[in-house]
Amino acid sequence: MLRVGHRPPAVKSMKTFMRSPAVRLSPVSLTITALIAITGAFAQDGPFAGLAPQGASSGTDVSGTWRVGGNQDAAYGTAAGSLVDYGGIPFNEAGRLFALAWSASRQTLRTEQCAGYVVPYAFYSPGNYRFWEERDPYTQRLIAIHMYFQTSELNRTIWMDGRPHPPAWAAHTFSGFSTGEWKGNILTITTTHLKHGYIRGNGASQSDEATVTESLIRHGDRVTYFAQTIDPVWLDGPFTKTVINVRNVVDPTAWLYACEDGEEIIARADSRVPYYPFGQNPSLREYADKNHVPMLGTLGGSDTTRPEFTAKLKDTAAAEAAAMVETTPVKGNPQQSNRGANAEPDDGEIHILKVQGNVYMLVGDGGNITVQVGDQGPFVVDTGAGRLSNKVIAAIRSLSPRPIQFIVNTSFHSAHTGGNDNLAAAGEDPSLPGSFFAGQAPVAATGFFTDPAHRATLIAQNNVLVRMQAAKMPEGLIPPDTYLKERRRKWHNGEGIDMFYEPNASTDGDTIVHFRGADVIAAGDIFDTMHYPFIDLKNGGSVQGELDALTNILEKTVYQHDEDGGTMIVPGHGRLSDEYDLGEYRAMLFIIADRIRTAINSGATVAQVKAARLTADYDTRFGATTGSWTTDMFVEAVYADLKRRSPATVGK
Amino acid sequence: MIVITRRVCWILSLTIASVFALSDRSIFAQGRGGGTPPRSPKQAAPADFTGYWVSVVVEDWRYRMIDPNKGDFGALPLTAEARRVAAAWDPAKYPPPSEDCRNYGAVNLMRQPGRIHITWQDDQTLKLESDAGSQTRTLVFGSARGPGGDWQGVSQASWDSIAGGRGGGQPTGSLKIVTTNLKPGFLRKNGAPTSANAILTEYFDRIDEKDGNSYLVVTTTVEDAVNLTAPYLTSVHFRKQADAAGWAPTACR
Repeated sequence: MLRVGHRPPAVKSMKTFMRSPAVRLSPVSLTITALIAITGAFAQDGPFAGLAPQGASSGTDVSGTWRVGGNQDAAYGTAAGSLVDYGGIPFNEAGRLFALAWSASRQTLRTEQCAGYVVPYAFYSPGNYRFWEERDPYTQRLIAIHMYFQTSELNRTIWMDGRPHPPAWAAHTFSGFSTGEWKGNILTITTTHLKHGYIRGNGASQSDEATVTESLIRHGDRVTYFAQTIDPVWLDGPFTKTVINVRNVVDPTAWLYACEDGEEIIARADSRVPYYPFGQNPSLREYADKNHVPMLGTLGGSDTTRPEFTAKLKDTAAAEAAAMVETTPVKGNPQQSNRGANAEPDDGEIHILKVQGNVYMLVGDGGNITVQVGDQGPFVVDTGAGRLSNKVIAAIRSLSPRPIQFIVNTSFHSAHTGGNDNLAAAGEDPSLPGSFFAGQAPVAATGFFTDPAHRATLIAQNNVLVRMQAAKMPEGLIPPDTYLKERRRKWHNGEGIDMFYEPNASTDGDTIVHFRGADVIAAGDIFDTMHYPFIDLKNGGSVQGELDALTNILEKTVYQHDEDGGTMIVPGHGRLSDEYDLGEYRAMLFIIADRIRTAINSGATVAQVKAARLTADYDTRFGATTGSWTTDMFVEAVYADLKRRSPATVGK
Repeated sequence: MIVITRRVCWILSLTIASVFALSDRSIFAQGRGGGTPPRSPKQAAPADFTGYWVSVVVEDWRYRMIDPNKGDFGALPLTAEARRVAAAWDPAKYPPPSEDCRNYGAVNLMRQPGRIHITWQDDQTLKLESDAGSQTRTLVFGSARGPGGDWQGVSQASWDSIAGGRGGGQPTGSLKIVTTNLKPGFLRKNGAPTSANAILTEYFDRIDEKDGNSYLVVTTTVEDAVNLTAPYLTSVHFRKQADAAGWAPTACR
């Protein structure tokens, strides 16, 4: 018997509810059922609240094709916008300096030629958009709203079913990860996991740590779009913007945006990145002079969005002086640290993230661990810090019932080798019993082959063994199976696996591992999405080796679509990435190293280099003032390495 | 205890549903009692637009934060004659004191850098004051009042709704304002003209962000057969302030 006041679970569909025995049993329940049936479409609160399954109801329908239709900001809708036109963008110092250092020639880099657009820029860049709904065919629940943007072929999915956003260590894309909800008549979208992209096409950028909330408000055949961008890296307040979109009566043609990168600057070394040194942007005054705009206004900042800013411009001499201060790093400003999300959880748990194919990323015990599974035993790259080895082993067993067969160390750093002994002991290498090795007296012969058949085989470049031996590391941690030259390879679990030696990158024993079938590269400490590159000078690392290693990785990658996806890269630390992320990381290293090179060649001391804050545009993304690898350590390492050559050089 | 087949169940349900659908759906909103008087616009407000709001100058920054350059009519759909008139505008000779507020007419007031203060003047009327130019707009629900012919004209307000659907229009949450009877003014401060025939249609929408910020988004259409070849569409936005901080009334300039 259905009691009056009974409320079925919100997730229960109306059809299921109507068919329930309780409903069929009583005239009272029948009446209630009828009331529910007719009020479900109306009631937003009151006794029937929550009855509709989540996502079942929606506001106005935004399906159709749209285009930018307003009469404002024409410069942004028709082209990239003028250079050094940042008025109204609430830049912090780092954001402004990044934009001023940006050269349009960066768009000739292979990793940037086909880069997509991010929101909100996608909504005021040229082109048409198509929106359509995806509904469950059986319940008509709204599952998602899809958006396709003509320019850059941006495909967005706005999930309307209440699913959570991915963790901080998941990959980012130009479309990001979006969830939506209706607030009255307004479609509200929250997007995270975006890539670094334009705010305006003139280099004004939002970082990959930005969160964008968008509101779509339909007024007849127009949609007013409002977005708020929160970027802790490059903005010191919300960047808010409206745009008017107009519905197309006729579906436009030319929906595709065919982009394929090519060789644009033949003579330029791959690792060289065009940029402007601080204070030397040749277009600094171009827009200001042409349009009679005070330069202070063109440089952006929260002030430029406020009514009071007009008063600042009245004293033209003071405004000019204030503007000049903003074009270079302000000496004496406090050093900043990475303000992004922590993509390396320290919650005592091991988190498994499927990368693609049969390859997984394990996060939580220091450095990232890459696991490939299949018909044979798991192939593991790096073993973490060793604090949570039991949980790492359990996580790997949840992916494969077979014992770990191979372990490759990308370097000898403890965040990647700390679990070697434990994971090796939990595995076995069935290729060894009955082989040549089984007949040896391994301990006596090498000191390391302790019971080879019943341990996973540890592999690394030979300098890892040398460094660990020199440091008198415990025997079980040291990889006995080493290689010396460019490449080691295996066919395992149904695919080719390449191990490439990257000499003198982070150390003198770095290996990157390429799973060729799954198309995943484990990069080790060569790539850290949360810190400046760990150039471990005393263990053989170098700036040029690091740049070369990043370039070598990029020579193996292919994007799936407009610099998204394709070859995935597991960094030594931080979030899952792809070639665009790594390309931006390489650009950062080249630019900073080249600034330091210039300073060295002009006679600057390391103290002067640090005081000049040559990393100021990147510190809020990669910097650290505490911990094992601070910004100061990084600058000192780059300085010391480049100083060894006279004149200092960066980029081949 | 009786058992009713599914078909009978649905027939009865649909019958009852039809009865309700044919009746005034306001019973859901106003409870029992057909004699309840209709709610006033103030009571029926789907969103709270009152309070102090500060403009966030991002859109058309160059035309709003500083005086637009003479002859810069970019993105304005001006007729040839309007363009000629605008090009002839000479800031050295203009405006005479009586025309000081030409740039602060309703068609351009919301684009001024400044603050606005919205209050209910009475149950039928919203009052919108601007500190920039010290202007006051009177947004009247129902029949608009006043002869107009001044900078702010005559504004008729309504809570916007989407026509159709069961039980009539569905409220959208927007405040719709149609303003007519305007004194000829400026579409842009550099002389781009609007005529007395201009019709200004605005939608006010309130956005409440999870971080606590609230925004007022104003979507504007200006139609002026005398000066424009097409409707002029723009949007601006304001951030909600907790109080009157920064409120600084200024004269037209």
